Amino acid sequence: MVTQYVRIPQERIGVLIGHNGSVKEELERRSASKISVDSEEGEVCIEGTEGGDPVKTLRVADMITAIGRGFSPEKAVALIDDASLLFEIVPLDHLTPKTLKRVKGRIIGQKGKTRRTIENLTGVKMSVYGKTVGLIGSSRQIRAADDAIEMLIKGAPHNTVYSALERQRRVEVEKW
Amino acid sequence: MTEGKWAIAHISSSFNNVIITITDMTGAETIARASGGMIAKADRDESSPYTAMQMAFQLADKMKEREIWGIHVKIKAASGRKTRTPAPGAQAAIKAFARAGLRIGKVEDVTPVPHDGTKRPGGRRGRRV
Repeated sequence: MVTQYVRIPQERIGVLIGHNGSVKEELERRSASKISVDSEEGEVCIEGTEGGDPVKTLRVADMITAIGRGFSPEKAVALIDDASLLFEIVPLDHLTPKTLKRVKGRIIGQKGKTRRTIENLTGVKMSVYGKTVGLIGSSRQIRAADDAIEMLIKGAPHNTVYSALERQRRVEVEKW
Repeated sequence: MTEGKWAIAHISSSFNNVIITITDMTGAETIARASGGMIAKADRDESSPYTAMQMAFQLADKMKEREIWGIHVKIKAASGRKTRTPAPGAQAAIKAFARAGLRIGKVEDVTPVPHDGTKRPGGRRGRRV
């Protein structure tokens, strides 16, 4: 039996549980595990049931982390449905508060333009939340998006990042 | 299935390779091990989920000979300044172990996390491709 512990911010607990526990129940059903939430500490305990699929339990733990990092349950549920998807956190906690605000703005862009462009060019789903950027996608997609975000953090101009992504995509297409 | 021994499967999964080492419960005695290159022909397939699955099945056979009944799993991803999410191979391997009839006990992520590591490569203007 597999037990996983995940910690999520208090303000995301409501999202995880949903209306009258609808989201939580749905997750429990899909993953055949038991989810218990400590709403004061934000501690979530995911217990696999006897005979349940242990991988499902791991994936639902990933998904709950994703919800904690700002994803909506609708987007995060892909982590359970599609086995090839991964969830990755790009930490921004090494930045000072002022830089953090600026860099988050750079990653999101005006009205989310940069975020949307990265999502379209790589195929990942992105969530900039608190001191992290969350990414959902296949390992190849995540690597591309991770590179792009790293460039933006380091201060590369947006245009350079876009053309790098574009070029990378062309290379990928040629390969396959 | 009759009562048997437990073992630990250490899975080290990066984006370039997967290495699975089966040890006894102390972790000091290696029972069996497999790596991507023992199965995949091409370098780029060494880390694929399919390769990891094949490895897990091979190891499961060896474990059955030793009457090992269940395994605890320790997953390690590429650490340091690289990604800290386990690559897809790790989950495929766990799935394959379960399908091969082994009981899965505890699953733990043992990726070492530096308190403050070395700088990522790339310089101020980011990685230029």
